[in-house]
Amino acid sequence: MKMLMPKRLLAAVAAVLALLAAATGSSRRVPEAMIDAKQLAGEIQREDDHVTALELAQWIRDRKPGLRVLDVRTDSEFAAFHVPSAERMPLESLVTLRPAAGETLVIYSEGGTHAAQGWVLLRSRGHEHVYFLRGGLLDWMDDVMSPTVQSTSDSASAHVASLSRYFGGVPRVGVAPSAPAAHATATRDTATAAAAVARLRRRGC
Amino acid sequence: MIAPLSEFGSLGPLGVLVSGFAIGVAFGACLERSGLGNARKLMGQFDLTDLAVFKVMFSAIVTAMLGLFWLSRLGILDLSHVYLPDTFLLPQLAGGAVFGVGFALAGLCPGTSCVAAATGRGDGVAVMLGMLAGVLATGALLPAIQRFYMSTSRGALTLPRLLGIPEGIVILVVVGVALTAFGFTARVERRAASVR
Repeated sequence: MKMLMPKRLLAAVAAVLALLAAATGSSRRVPEAMIDAKQLAGEIQREDDHVTALELAQWIRDRKPGLRVLDVRTDSEFAAFHVPSAERMPLESLVTLRPAAGETLVIYSEGGTHAAQGWVLLRSRGHEHVYFLRGGLLDWMDDVMSPTVQSTSDSASAHVASLSRYFGGVPRVGVAPSAPAAHATATRDTATAAAAVARLRRRGC
Repeated sequence: MIAPLSEFGSLGPLGVLVSGFAIGVAFGACLERSGLGNARKLMGQFDLTDLAVFKVMFSAIVTAMLGLFWLSRLGILDLSHVYLPDTFLLPQLAGGAVFGVGFALAGLCPGTSCVAAATGRGDGVAVMLGMLAGVLATGALLPAIQRFYMSTSRGALTLPRLLGIPEGIVILVVVGVALTAFGFTARVERRAASVR
């Protein structure tokens, strides 16, 4: 058998590398994040990107199948208080998260900014069924843990009040949330949690 | 990711200069060893008797292309740190035409003129001086031609991005074309040699 000439050998190496390259496709190890900016902008405009605190409360109470609530705050903040059923998920871990099929992710942070940024990161990686909690934990404290309802008789108010009580909250009737009387009626647990979050409020995010 | 070494700071400013010089010397030496410092050999390209330029340049493209792809894929090279020149359609077409006319007239291109000059060829020195004069003239005229110079900007274009097909497929096609062309040029050169 004739030995391969150097030229032929080089040509063969190039051909093999090219064939492997074609099979590999991309020179990137991590798939490039594809942001369809127009589509995301539409989702944001239509407000399909977030859920309100009451919607999230409803989902948790109804045990919505595949729901995962993700808290992107720090460990100590998570330990101080978190939405029931939430798991802690720093933003760095969030970007490498691979949600299983049928999972619905709800991300929340203190004020909503970090969660909204996490939403963009996850959506840009092609994950659907991702939402963030509008207003963050602050809205959760206001609207679920100590909501102000118009009266106890109409069905909407009764619904909010029952959701609130489910999570150990204290709904108040027609009283402004900052009124001193409201604090008097709050249980000690809720008051502690509210104080923890009130400290966060000054920092935002 | 450790490469490009210059971008990740492992070379240092002096290292960048030294390695740049070494690569330049190696480039010139390879051009010289390929016989590309000789205007006659280069002109063989145009009358299809000697396709050395085509083969040298195309094999350089294939080597660099496969090298960059696989170094990036294996996580050694970060391609986002490799400079990709922008495309300016009309100015670059005009530049290409001027370059082509100069190449055909002089029998040397910028790199090969330096190689020819370094080996003591008078035509190489003349072309090099002409090239430097052209660079100076363009610089001096830049304010007048600035609008055209920056027109029809298309950004940093690559074939995969332009055609919307994976890089690997483009590589397979280019390597396939190169290898076919190498086989074909060998036949053309044999025929030219037998005619002579």
